[in-house]
Amino acid sequence: MAPFIELDKLCKSFDDGRTFAVHDVTLHVELGLFVALVGASGSGKTTTLKFINRLIEPDSGTVRIEGEPVGTSDPATLRRRIGYVFQGIGLFPHMSVGENIAITPQLLGWPQADATARVSELLDLVELPQSYASRSPLGLSGGEQQRVAVARAVAARPKIVLMDEPFGALDPITRDSVRSSYQSLHSRLGLTTIMVTHDVQEAVLLADRIAVMSAGRILAYDTPRALLSNGAAAEVANLMAMPKRQADRIRALTGGETRDDAHG
Amino acid sequence: MDERTVNALRLLPDYLAQHVLLSLVALGLGILIGLPLAVVATRHRSVRAATLAAASLVQTIPGLALLALFYPLLLGLSALSQSTFGIGLPALGFLPSVMALTLYAVLPVLRNGIAGLAGLDPAVIEAADAVGMTPAQRLVQVEAPLAAPVVMAGIRTAAVWTIGAATLSTSVGQTSLGNYIFSGLQTENWIFVLFGCVVAALLALAVDQLLGLIEAGVTRRDRTRVHVGLAGIVIGAGVALTPLMLAAPHTYLVGAKNFSEQFILAELISERLMREGATAERKQGLGSAIAFRALASSDIDVYVDYSGTLWTNVMDRRDSLERQAMLDELTRWMAERYKVRVLGALGFENAYALAMKRERAAALGVRSIEDLARHAPRLSFGADLEFLSRPEWTALRDAYGLNFAEQRSYSPTFMYRALQTGDVDVISAFSSDGRIAADGLELLSDPKRAIPSYDAVLLISPRRANDPLILRALEPLIGAITPQRMQEANFMVDRDADKVSPKEAANFLARAIGIAGR
Repeated sequence: MAPFIELDKLCKSFDDGRTFAVHDVTLHVELGLFVALVGASGSGKTTTLKFINRLIEPDSGTVRIEGEPVGTSDPATLRRRIGYVFQGIGLFPHMSVGENIAITPQLLGWPQADATARVSELLDLVELPQSYASRSPLGLSGGEQQRVAVARAVAARPKIVLMDEPFGALDPITRDSVRSSYQSLHSRLGLTTIMVTHDVQEAVLLADRIAVMSAGRILAYDTPRALLSNGAAAEVANLMAMPKRQADRIRALTGGETRDDAHG
Repeated sequence: MDERTVNALRLLPDYLAQHVLLSLVALGLGILIGLPLAVVATRHRSVRAATLAAASLVQTIPGLALLALFYPLLLGLSALSQSTFGIGLPALGFLPSVMALTLYAVLPVLRNGIAGLAGLDPAVIEAADAVGMTPAQRLVQVEAPLAAPVVMAGIRTAAVWTIGAATLSTSVGQTSLGNYIFSGLQTENWIFVLFGCVVAALLALAVDQLLGLIEAGVTRRDRTRVHVGLAGIVIGAGVALTPLMLAAPHTYLVGAKNFSEQFILAELISERLMREGATAERKQGLGSAIAFRALASSDIDVYVDYSGTLWTNVMDRRDSLERQAMLDELTRWMAERYKVRVLGALGFENAYALAMKRERAAALGVRSIEDLARHAPRLSFGADLEFLSRPEWTALRDAYGLNFAEQRSYSPTFMYRALQTGDVDVISAFSSDGRIAADGLELLSDPKRAIPSYDAVLLISPRRANDPLILRALEPLIGAITPQRMQEANFMVDRDADKVSPKEAANFLARAIGIAGR
């Protein structure tokens, strides 16, 4: 059986072939997985992500969803069934929070009552008060705005959500809270999520699979556990070593505290 | 109330209606062209540079010049469409005015449209694409509402510019609030000038306030403000335009160049036409060359020109015939070449003549232009706006070897003033001008007959050449106006104290020649 999302030999050059932003990327994503694309800036991970909803068209190669090449459907129609969350958030400032969330259902021609009910359901799901529906997004905090953006992305019940550094602009405490509410949303709604991040620790904490990218190529694609333990390629091991070191250090600190507590 | 104020108020409904209609159409077209152009220019970088450059270039052309440029352009187009489709275009009045003003209105709309669209947050645009909007949906649902405040500011600027510049359309024969300003300037009716300026400014101010209300409403997403502003504009335009809908269809268009005598004669002609049961509209303040071309293409039906002017400027003749022979030749040539009918001479001349203050001429011992030539290198010369570029001046200068220390151009009114104040020593006067007698001026004789004669003649457009009504109405004027009467009538309008309107001067003339109403 074909994989749910299949990236097949994708290439993209932004300078007429002198250098490649994405070079021969092939990746299979099974239904229901949470996949993280990690790598340094310029490694081609965002470009790869945007091939999937055709915000960027590849020079060569194909993206297939459930065996169907995405190039065969109209981009607007395609995007209405794929959620998208990104660092810029991009809420429409002239619409209320409710109108922002209901935008894709509205484009799909849902009846008004269904859209309104869906907005109310989603505000609960992303842990925002119902009264926010009529408010302007401009008065919201960064974390609240990103929660609205997540609600907007999943409003039309997509099976796939693409995320581009979604939590990058949030302060650490907010980031953690938005992150964990998304993670529970992912499993509750049975989503397939592909997230771009340069934060390896975030990838390790959230993802079922991690694809490590460098210079437009995929160096490794495996579970976080496998990538952390295996002595893979030097570059991958190097990248994965950082969260491991941090975890060790935290464990050492909290371990010490636990001993202190025991003494007390 | 002052009689001139009453006159000004009487003309207001028509002038304001025409002004509002012209501004509204030009602004509407400016928006219809500017906004789509802004959308295209935002999507394509090369189009953006080209359109902005073109629009900015148009803006550097002075308004009056832009209007003047459209006239020959439309004449050419009219000739083309006449030969291709058999339908001519009006080259005068509404069409050239609207085209020039539209071009003017496009730039602020375009520039702010581009600024508004290009200045949007890229994250919002990316989100619009990502939620599944088509490019058209993105434009309507996201880009347009977000760019609206900036776009509205551009429309506001365009509206104020258009209303101001529309006053200039008087010079190409479109009635506007500029009629007060142009005719007031010529007849030194400062009340008219002031009235025109104030009304145009108030109109611009009112429209600016209403559009400002809409702009504020759009910015704050306050529908009430938008609706109040829109309602104000619709109601205001409706009220201003009512006189146009009530007005009778204009049957005859009477042209006039830009000086008092022409205004008086246009009133006299209109009065005669109305007495015969026709309706008449005046196209006043036309430039000398424009007036004839307008007549030849039947954009106006009748006006008064001068044989010498037509002889040199239209027929391009440099020789000088005896007065009657010249009239005969002119009549024949006009009929043959342009199908224009020269109905006849009114009976007076309005020749270009050089004039000096009498005592100054006596002191220098100057009686003829020949005498003047000897003193010219120490004298300064004041001419009207067109004289120095007319062939008559070339002929005069070459015939006598005139070489003044200084030459300046003035509008006719200010030229006479400059002679009085001593700013200039010699002027290019008009022989029928009432100010010659009133100001104590000496007309210098032209012994070499370098300047042809300038009989005032009635010209009828090809379309009306055999129209019995116009012939019946105007034939009584032929040979009826003596030089003294014309000078008197002119002076009634031009004098500083106790001046009357051109209409009253026309009534005086009508009474004097015995054709006044029963």
